[in-house]
Amino acid sequence: MMGFSVAAVPSNLLWAFAGVTLGTAVGVLPGIGPALTVALLLPVTLALSPTSAFIMFAGIYYGAMYGGSTTSILLNSPGESASIATALEGNVMARRGRGAAALSTSALGSFVAGTLATIALTFLAPVLVGVALHFGPAEYFALAVLAFTSVSAVLGRSLLKGLFSLFIGLGLGLVGIDPLTGKARFSLGVSQLLDGIDVVILVMGLFAVGETFYLAWCWKPGEEDVLSPKGGEGFMGLTREDWSRSWPAWLRGSAIGFPLGVLPAGGAEIPTFLSYMMEKRLAAKPEEFGQGAIEGVAGPEAANNAAAAGVLVPLLTLGLPTSATAAVLLAAFQQYGLRPGPLLFDSQPELVWSLIASLYVGNAMLLVLNLPLVGLWVRVLLMPKPLLYGGILVLASLGAYSLNGSVVDVVLLYVIGALGALLRRFDFPVAPAVLGLILGPLAEQQARRALAISQGDWTVFVTRPISAAILAAAVLVLLAPRWFRRRA
Amino acid sequence: MRRLLVLALALLSSSSFSQESRYDRLRIMAPASPGGGWDQTARALAAVLREEGIARVVEVENVSGAAGTIGLSRFASAYRGQGDALLVTGLVMLSAIVMNESPVSLAEVTPIARLTGEYEVLVVPAASDFRSLADLTAALRRDPGAVSFAGGSAGGTDQLLVGLLAREVGVDPASTNYIAFSGGGDSLAALLGSQVAAGVSGLSEYAPHIESGSLRALAISSPDPVPGVDILTFREQGLDLAIANWRGIVAPPGIPGPSRDSLVSAVDRLVRTPSWQEVLARYGWVDLYLPGDRFEQFLRLEQRRVGAVVRDLGGVQRASASGSGEIAEMVFPGIVGVGLLVSGGLLLARRGSEPRASGNGRALGFVTLGAVADVILLEPAGFIAASSVLFCCAARGFGSRRWARDAVLGLAFSTGAYLLFTRALSLSLPAGRLFP
Repeated sequence: MMGFSVAAVPSNLLWAFAGVTLGTAVGVLPGIGPALTVALLLPVTLALSPTSAFIMFAGIYYGAMYGGSTTSILLNSPGESASIATALEGNVMARRGRGAAALSTSALGSFVAGTLATIALTFLAPVLVGVALHFGPAEYFALAVLAFTSVSAVLGRSLLKGLFSLFIGLGLGLVGIDPLTGKARFSLGVSQLLDGIDVVILVMGLFAVGETFYLAWCWKPGEEDVLSPKGGEGFMGLTREDWSRSWPAWLRGSAIGFPLGVLPAGGAEIPTFLSYMMEKRLAAKPEEFGQGAIEGVAGPEAANNAAAAGVLVPLLTLGLPTSATAAVLLAAFQQYGLRPGPLLFDSQPELVWSLIASLYVGNAMLLVLNLPLVGLWVRVLLMPKPLLYGGILVLASLGAYSLNGSVVDVVLLYVIGALGALLRRFDFPVAPAVLGLILGPLAEQQARRALAISQGDWTVFVTRPISAAILAAAVLVLLAPRWFRRRA
Repeated sequence: MRRLLVLALALLSSSSFSQESRYDRLRIMAPASPGGGWDQTARALAAVLREEGIARVVEVENVSGAAGTIGLSRFASAYRGQGDALLVTGLVMLSAIVMNESPVSLAEVTPIARLTGEYEVLVVPAASDFRSLADLTAALRRDPGAVSFAGGSAGGTDQLLVGLLAREVGVDPASTNYIAFSGGGDSLAALLGSQVAAGVSGLSEYAPHIESGSLRALAISSPDPVPGVDILTFREQGLDLAIANWRGIVAPPGIPGPSRDSLVSAVDRLVRTPSWQEVLARYGWVDLYLPGDRFEQFLRLEQRRVGAVVRDLGGVQRASASGSGEIAEMVFPGIVGVGLLVSGGLLLARRGSEPRASGNGRALGFVTLGAVADVILLEPAGFIAASSVLFCCAARGFGSRRWARDAVLGLAFSTGAYLLFTRALSLSLPAGRLFP
């Protein structure tokens, strides 16, 4: 309550509003994430009180999560890896004139998930973090294995083509310095490749640029493949059927996203893909997936936002930065002479509680800001194609360059874009490649860490209870559908 | 308003320094992305240089990658001979140069000063059986592989400390069990969850947890006891081991002697100002100031020491002494390679049912032309020009015939994006000649 009285001061509301607006803007821009934005704003915000600054940062953080889904849905151009799962169904919906519904369910889902996760953060933080600390390298490896099973949901029509795409991603994930030994692998003597291929480059290359190249390749003058968008229909842009299909997906997405976000090495992508797989498995009409199923947007989008709130749990309770944005927020705490950590809740209760209160406020603001914008956003699709795709390429190259300030990344973006166009042309799914790039290094590093700690004892993966349970779940996910089918 | 105030301050203080060197414009390169320690150092330096009127305009440029070695080589080539550019550097870059076999080393650039640093602490989880440093070193001597150390990236300060510790207690550094974690958060989580036996990191990262009692500090790596810190040094416990994760600044190679002297004296003035002392206090940095020549000497010694440790650690390639079942660095790539070959081979064998590749080569050609032009033009001609060309080519590819309209829109769009990024977000984009 004390938190709300601070967060609701008009000037703080104004900072929250500035934050969510800026956050939405950077979320829409490819390659510019909340981490970079907050880092660049740090020197400017020194003039503000810590509370106001953090309220604004929280707004940016949540806002970017909202903004990221917009380009995924409308243009099939996710700006970061956590909104790829949203693009899978969302973009198909947009192409079929249901862009408004996709945007509405993602905005409402983000709100529901953000609010639920913030409530969980308020009441359960200390308990959850205790559980999260039981996760060691063996458990993270098991989690990566579980996440690999979600590849089965994005395979497309041909198993073989999906696997080939997955292996391309795994292969690209090997490039760069091996973090465990410090040795360079497959970097071809290019020093810019030593840090590996940034997942943002791969995502923008395969999706935004690859899509543009592919569309140009298939371009037949005078042909339109996008249906003109319908405006919002029903209550808040969703029909009665949309509502009844969306809300269970929002709840399931939140339930998956939040706990995985709390895990120090969980990452934001795993929950979104797990949620996508879950929705596909549970759907009444699984054949609609790939044809624009609204659950496939609602679930992952909710998971994404819930995970974003989960990341704040280890940050606020232990001072553990578990994502790039969290690391920058930690730097921001230090700039104000605050030491986040086990003592922050005791030493700075006003700051912590007003930060949490501002999360509620920011979430509500984002919904108010985004729902009316839906009608405006879908009009982007009405732009003449030459200008639309020209703009997309410019923004993608800008995003790639600004990652490291290096032309090498722009070259890489176009090369991967050409690869993306080829994959599309021959009907290979591109999502498995991204999953490979994200999960491959995670699985490899955690497996090697676990084995190093156990001094080469392979049984750690099955003798540690949590790890064994997750691995069993992975086996179940792969085998259960077959088993059910046989019984039916 | 703030800017005006700073300007006024700059004007005021500049008059009192009229005798000494003042810079109209200084560039500071941080060889890391915004938010990290090197970036914080660069931005704090820039702020104090401006406030104290030592420089009128200070620009910070971020060139990240490969533990700073990418920034180093860019700095050495792009600013060669220019006396108004500085690069933030530190111990981590020194070891990365050895590890990555960087073509440019710190011997080429011009050392200006060592500024700040942080000491490392060796900790164990509160529930650990190791009550003291002696307990840990005894276990290390018994079975080096059984003591797993969590720390930052391979070859960084944390691992150097483990290597030095092993050598001090008479254990082969290559047999130590060092587990590199990517972020500070990950290794801390592993420690708090007792997943590893011990951890090494900068004091500030562990301090809150030492205070709260969830971690036990065994030793700090400072040469002398640090006032206000209740942790015994390695030296106090009989091990000749001291290391600091220092940060300093260097100037480009090949600058004239007077330019170097003027930079050294400017920094000398800077470190004496109250605002710099305030910065040190705010970030919790230890003052490790060493001016010009003495920094150069220190660098030479430090380079030799780091090189020796990295070699000792076996080029930081873990020897398989501690276990037979561990996965070597090329096992996983092998699996991926086989997977690629098998799935690719099976796909090739099934070819024939595929649709023939036919498409609109003209449209694709234009878009490709735009991409190639963008890459070629980006740095020499600047972001706005390159992006406008890209925009026009892409538009032409998608059937537009209105060159003039496309050119105007492309220019407007690129300029808008450029201004948003460089002015509002102060990111550096290649300016080219269009926009000075």
